[in-house]
Formats: sequence, structure tokens, C-alpha cells
Amino acid sequence: MAFQIECPNCGVRPAWEFHYGGATRNRPEPQAPSADWVEYIYSRSNTRGEESEWWYHRSACKLWFLAERDTSTNHVLETRRFEAQENVGG
Amino acid sequence: MADHSPSTGQVEFQFNGKTIVAAPGQTIAGALHAAGEHVLSSSFKYHRPRGLLCVSGRCPNCLCTVDGTPNERICQTPARTGMQVKSQNAWPSPKLDVLRVFNRFSRFMPVGFYYKSMYKPRWMWPIWEKLIRRITGLGTIDPVHGGDGDYEKRNIFTDVAIIGGGLAGMQAALAAAEGGARVVLIDDQPGLGGHLRYDPDLVRAEWTELPLRTAANHRIEVINGATVFGAYEDRYLGVRQGERLLRIRAAQVVVATGAWERPYVFENNDLPGVLLASGAQRLVRLEHCTFDGPVLVVTDNAQGYRAARQLKGAGVTLAGLVDTRADSTEAIDGVTIHRGQTITAATGSSHVTGAKLATLAGEKKGTIGCRWIVQALGFTAATSLLYQAGCSLEYDPALDQPVVKKYAAGYWSTGAVNGFHDPQAASAEARSVGAAAAAAVGSQPVPRVVERPTSSGATAVEPNYVAPTSAKKQFVCLCEDVTVKDVGDAIDEGYSNIETLKRYSTVSMGPCQGKMCQAAAIAVCARHNKQTIAQTGVTTARPPDQPVPLGVLAGRGVQFTLVRQTAMHDWHVRNGATMSDAGNWKRPGVYTTVEQEYDAVRNRAGLIDVSTLGKLDLRGEDVSKLLEYIYPNKFANLPVGRVRYGVICGEDGIILDDGTVSRLGSERYFITTTTGNADAIDSWFRSTLVCRPQWDIRFTNVSTSFAAMNLAGPCSREILAKLTTSDVSAERWPYLAAGELTIAGVKATVLRIGFVGELGYEIHVPTQYGLHVWEAILEAGREFGIAPFGLEAQRLLRLEKKHFLPGVDTDALSNPLEADIGWVVKLEKPDFIGRHSLDRVSQRPLRQKLVGFRLQDSTPIEAGSLVLSGTKVTGRVTSSGNSPAVGTTIGLAWVAADQAHDGARFEIRVRDSNVPAFVHEAPFYDPAGERLKS
Repeated sequence: MAFQIECPNCGVRPAWEFHYGGATRNRPEPQAPSADWVEYIYSRSNTRGEESEWWYHRSACKLWFLAERDTSTNHVLETRRFEAQENVGG
Repeated sequence: MADHSPSTGQVEFQFNGKTIVAAPGQTIAGALHAAGEHVLSSSFKYHRPRGLLCVSGRCPNCLCTVDGTPNERICQTPARTGMQVKSQNAWPSPKLDVLRVFNRFSRFMPVGFYYKSMYKPRWMWPIWEKLIRRITGLGTIDPVHGGDGDYEKRNIFTDVAIIGGGLAGMQAALAAAEGGARVVLIDDQPGLGGHLRYDPDLVRAEWTELPLRTAANHRIEVINGATVFGAYEDRYLGVRQGERLLRIRAAQVVVATGAWERPYVFENNDLPGVLLASGAQRLVRLEHCTFDGPVLVVTDNAQGYRAARQLKGAGVTLAGLVDTRADSTEAIDGVTIHRGQTITAATGSSHVTGAKLATLAGEKKGTIGCRWIVQALGFTAATSLLYQAGCSLEYDPALDQPVVKKYAAGYWSTGAVNGFHDPQAASAEARSVGAAAAAAVGSQPVPRVVERPTSSGATAVEPNYVAPTSAKKQFVCLCEDVTVKDVGDAIDEGYSNIETLKRYSTVSMGPCQGKMCQAAAIAVCARHNKQTIAQTGVTTARPPDQPVPLGVLAGRGVQFTLVRQTAMHDWHVRNGATMSDAGNWKRPGVYTTVEQEYDAVRNRAGLIDVSTLGKLDLRGEDVSKLLEYIYPNKFANLPVGRVRYGVICGEDGIILDDGTVSRLGSERYFITTTTGNADAIDSWFRSTLVCRPQWDIRFTNVSTSFAAMNLAGPCSREILAKLTTSDVSAERWPYLAAGELTIAGVKATVLRIGFVGELGYEIHVPTQYGLHVWEAILEAGREFGIAPFGLEAQRLLRLEKKHFLPGVDTDALSNPLEADIGWVVKLEKPDFIGRHSLDRVSQRPLRQKLVGFRLQDSTPIEAGSLVLSGTKVTGRVTSSGNSPAVGTTIGLAWVAADQAHDGARFEIRVRDSNVPAFVHEAPFYDPAGERLKS
């Protein structure tokens, strides 16, 4: 966990300042079938390669933001703030 | 370019009880060599005698215990007067190690023998294990002084980090510095120069000043005597320098680690007296030693001839030179050259007495008497850090080494690690790499491809790894005593892949981490599998590349742990409170006794510091909407001036935390969380809010802005009335009222809640007034007999009310329905976090339930004790205590749903017996809540 992440507020910082919030996922509608909810709550894709994720700058500005990370190399390709209209869980 | 020269001053130290005199500046190993002490250690498994081999801090042969610290590489440790140096794994001494008997039984100890012979009968294993641990291994940790070092940590940020201070590293550093970069140059030896330090024939006139110029350059920081043990993501390097841990983050990293000379594999190749040529050169040049008998040099390249000439020049007698190349023409005056031959065995028992020669085809050529065998048979490129960094490499047969195919972002390499063994070529390459690395600073690191030399020059066209002999005692791995035969046997048993071979035979898993043995292990594996070296591949390189003492990683520990103190902390300490840890916080445990504090709260008044609670201030039009979504219960209908209990669940319906929600205005809420979950709930709110930027909500974490205290007990209203001009009557301030009051002149947010089950007020004031209000309340309460109380009394008081603590009485399987607070779950709300899961739970029978229980007597019960139904385990106790109100032990426990009705009997396992317990549905104290609501 020595890789670096660019916080949209604070700039490039080591990963241990951050908390991993999981891959972005769509939260089902309240009345969606149970199978969708079970999938949402208990299944994880465990992607090898590029993944869109939530990260939280726990040790500093406390911003939740989005990052594109290659899970096989821990290379962070891009970070950005959440924009309205996205359905990415949370 | 020598680092030191002997002068007249004497250094004396003890080696296995014997006094050794060292010249100033000599290492322990150098002094021992000069004193004729050539047996330094006993091998790991067979207890064979071992002596100096690499003299560069890489092989395992010179590991000794120095002043109680095990596994010191004494060829790197300067001798100092008074040092106590002891051999390891040998009794009584490495020369007379009685355990050497294992060497005779080696045919009964094949590779993996303990997997094969010690697993039956099963009960014998602990006995075997104890025995194995006594007779094998490396050194003993000193239980008293082990880890006593002055461990320090240092963080370094730099433009360019260069690993390796040889010719290539120095040239790259100078070129990068000339390019304007800040450079850190890390080298594991005491002085810069690499091969140039001990091989004067390589040094050109223009390079003699390089170490001085490098050290003097104001843009270059030279870090000597330091090993880079790990290359982590994004150019983060872990470096050990003695007892110090350096953590380096570099924009660009240049790997100039060079190459390690590799030992040849032949019979008795581990005997003391068998040295690497670079080791012999180091002894002569850096340690000012000589050799006490004739030296035989075995080589397949120019390095061997240079070493032979240098030894001869230092007055050493040469027994001859064996050159594996039949067509070489190089000669040395007065030295017999045996061309087209190699060495197949060393003779001797505790030191070399001679060498057996043969042609490369194995045809015997007789024995030559000699006391030392010096081998110069090629180099292994030091590529492990490149692998760790994520570069991809491929084996190049022309260079006989792996070379980089694709670099990880921001990585470069230069010099011998790239196959440039010719110093002139390495120097030129290094200058261009250093300049390019400096130019790349500031731009996004990109992976690159780099050229490589066409031929090595360091080894013969046909590299020599293993002698043409089938003798048994040919050691591939010196650390773990693995022979050629062991490797072959392991492959025959099915461990033919290099990775499984490594794990089964433990080849390359010892202290040298493959630096001495990996090349030979791969060569033996390839030969046995009838594959090429490229097809055989390499094992994965992982940190640490060099052993690192745990103390170096741990650092000084507690001195740097964050401690959080409340505004009233000093008061607590002054008044005799025992302080206990709650995360990073310090909280009062008990001031006097639990009994006295309990008595004050139940009968008069008590005051507890609850400043550590998480506190959130939310304002805006849409806060109600947010709370309706986050909490399972309703908050939109909470009237202004009221407080309500709330539980937060995950989407899986599991309880995360509980606390209070107060509505202080139509668009203004004040939330408290538990101490332990303050940060997690803060993050939880923020993650929900960040996805709803269109909502009108201002969220502020005010946890440390406010000090807080609970005033509880039947007299608390009268005490409060003394401190405020406002009306605090039961009519104006009933149970669950919330609002603002001026207390002792300070504006406070007050909640009428009662965690401990008495009339009570939770008072939040700005932190800087915390102590003032605390003292004012105690002063006002003195006439009523008020007492401060701590966590221990609070735990008992709340237990009598059956109030659970999230994380203590609940775990990752606890939902509100089963935790007996189903009333907070309002499934009629269309959506909230966890609604779907809780809806599912509500439709199935409950599986377990959190219940109160009482015993018939005061038997103490520990949290975690098992709950039984007959012989079946059905649950566990989470909290318990001796209740003054009930007169027996009471507690909370998870039990099976069918055990959960009032009065039901179940049993708790207490040591060797079962204690009967009875479910108690109502709170143990004031079940109707009359005192709370008074």
C-alpha cells in the first residue's frame, strides 16, 4: 500500500492517508427484486485491472471522491470529485 | 581508493572467548582472517564448518552474534574494542561442533525429510519440533536486550533516487545533479566505488576523484552502509541503515545495483578456504590481509586473471590458475595455467587442502595442493529490486542474465545490472541514464524501453554454473544446506516448477535471499528438467531483499502514538482517576470505588465526562430527508426541542452504531455517536452526502469543539437549577427535552437523557469552558453529595437498565430486531439504508436474541462465556456485573430464540461447570422508567 493517490482537494498523497470505499456500484431501487439486493449487498466483482472506486481522504480533508485504479498494479489513473446525476452507490 | 589503512593503534575484541587484535578500520571478518580464524560458523542443517566467501555482506557464512545481536554480517561490521563476537548454531565452537555428526547422517536427511519422517505418530511432532529448533537455525534472540536499539525513522523526498554507488551509480548521480535534480544515492558498502574500490586494475585516471566529487556535490546526498530492501509502488523505497529506517519517495529511480559474483557448484564448495575472487580482492585491498598458503584461481573470464595478478602482487603464492576456456591465451608470469579444465572438488575437512581438476567433459586431471580456492566464474545481475518494482525482465542468453524488457513507471537501470560489465561502456550509459532521469522529473512517469549491450564480457560464452561431477556434497544453497542432489530429488518428486522447487527444497529462502544461489538453482533445475534457463524462469522477488530487524520496522512505537485528552483530563488525573484507553482517548475508569460512585449516582448525583462522544451539527432544509434515509427510525416527525434515540445500520441490516438525534431548530439537528465509532459515522454521513450535492445540508463535525458531561441522579435537577436562571422544572424540561441553557455563564446544548437510568442531563459546552462548567457543577452539587464517576460505574449502571453498547454487546451479525430494539425499525418508511435486509429479517423467525439474564448468586461471569442448551452451544455472554439493585450477577447474552422468553433457564459455562441463568425481559432497575422520567 505504498502507492499514491491524488486527492482532488489536497493533491498527491500516500495511500495510507486514505480509506478504500469499494468499487462503485448502482444501488437498486427500494422495490427491486430481492435477488438484485442480495447481489448489491453481498457480491463484489473482485476486478483484476481497471476499476472505478470510492476513496475517502480520512487523514486530512475527509472528502469522498472517485478514482480509477488498476487493481493489479495499484496504479491510479485518475481521480475526480463526484458529479450530480451519477448513480455510483453510497 | 582504499577506505582505510592500518596504523599502530590496537583494537581488541573477543571471538568465541579468544582475544583477537584488529588493525584500526578493519572489519571483524578481516581481523579474524588476519588472525588465522577461518571457521566462522556452522551450517544450518548439517553443521558443516563455513568461512568467508563473499566478504561483501551477501552470503550467510559470516553471520555471528555480536554483543548479543544475532545474525550480524561481520564482514561489514567494523571491529571495535571490547566487542563480544560469537559463532552461531555450533556447540561448543564452530571448529569443534559436536553436532557435525549430522553431516555423516546426511543421507538420512534428504530434502523435505521432516515432512516425510516426522509426521507420524502425530503426538511426536511437538517433541521433534523442539529438538529441531534447538539444533538448527541462526542465532538466538536476547530476550532481555533484544530490540533495545535506538531505532529511528526518516522520510526522504527526492527527485532522483539512485540505488548503488558503484561506477554507474556515481556517474548517473553526477549527471542527474548536473541536470538540476536533487539526488539521493544509496549504497550498501562503507564507501562509494563498487568494484573500483577493490579492483584497482579497473580504475581509469579520470575516475579516481569520482567518489569525492559525488560526495561533495551539493545536490547529491550520499547514504552509505544502507540497503534498499524493498521497492514498493510509486517509487517508494524501504531502506535500512543500521538501526534506522529510511523511507524514500522519489520521482525517478535509477537501479544501479550491479552484479554479485556467483559461487561455482562443486564438491565441498562450502569448505572454509573457498572464496569468491571479489572476496579475495576485498581482503587484500580493503582489509590489508594476505593469504597463509598457496591460492588456486579458477576462472572463465578476465576478472580471474586480474584477481590472480593482484594477489601475486600482494605477495601471495599462486598454486596455479584454472581457465575453463581451452582457447584463452592470457598468461601470468610464473603461474601454471590449466586451460580447458575446471575444478570438481575441494579436498580437506575443516579447511581446503587441495583441488581436484577435470576437463569440462569430466575427464579427471588430478589434484593440486592448495590452501585457498578463489573462483571467478561470472556474475549474477542484481535484478531483484527491478522485479519488485514491477519491471518485466527476460533472460538474455548472450548476456547470461535477465534484462529489463519493460520498465515500471519512473524506473531506470544502468551498469552491470543491464549487462554492461565493461566499465567504460557502463560509465557512458550511466551518464546518459542519469541525465534522462533528471530530465524526466516533473513529468508524468511513463514506462520506457531501453537498449542493452550485445555481449557480456563478464562470463564465458558458455557460462559455468555446476562442475562436471556427480558427487553428493555439492552445495547449491549455502543458507539452507541444499545440494545438487537435493534439487534433483525434489524435481523427481514432482516439484519441477522453479516456484514449487523453491518452497519444497527451501533453496534461495535463507538469509542471502538467492543472491548466492539463485543462478545456480535455476541452472540445476533447467539441466534436470532438460529446459533452457529462459524456459525455467525465476522465482518472484519480494521484499525484503535483505534481512531487516523487526525493531527497525517497528521503530520506537509508543512514543509516537497519538493520545487524545479531554478538556477535563488534568482534573481527572489530579483527582485520582485511573485512566483507561478508549481508542486514542484517555477516559477516567474509576476515581474512588465503583461501589461509591454507583451509590452517588443512584442516591444523590454523579458527573461523568463524555466529551469523547462523536458530535455532528447538521443544518439545512434537507437534513430531515437525510436522517430518514440514514436511520431506520423516523426523525422528520421529531418536534423541535426533543431528542430521540437512533440506531444506524448498514445495507445488510447490521447495527453499526447508536446515539442520539436532537432537533434544535426546524432545520437544525445535533447528533451524537459512540466514542469508538465517531470517525466511522462521520465518514458514513459524508459518503451519503457527497452523492447528494443538490441537497441543502451543511454538515459540521463538532466532536472536539464541545466538551460534554452527564449530570445524573435524583438531585441533578436541583444542582442544575443553582447554575442557571432558566426554568428547568420537569414541566419545562421533561424527559427527552433538548435545547439550550446557560449554565454557569456558559451557553450549553442540553439533552435530558439517562443512559444510566436516572434523571439526567447531557451538557455540551465549548471545549475551552469544559473544565469551568465541570468544576461549577461539582461545586454546586457538593451540598447534595455529588461525586464524579468513571466508565466502570457507568458500565454497571447501564447494565442494570439493559442498555447495550454497540461493538461490545453487538457484533457483525447483530441486527436491531434480534438485539431487542425492533421498535426503532420503521419498515413502513419507503426507503432507508438497510430497509431491504431488515424487511427480510422481519419475515423470518428470529434466530438469536440479545437478552438480560440474572444468576441465582453472585458467581462472576466473564464476557465471552458460552451459553449452553444441554450440551449445545447456543450463544455467549457479552457483558456482566454484580448488580447492587438485584443482589446477584446480571448480564447481557446472545441466546437462541427459543431460550429468549422471560424466566427461561439456560446455562453458562464457567470454567469446568455450568451455572444456571434466567432470562430477565424487563430492565433490572426501575423497569417502568419512573426515575428516568421524573
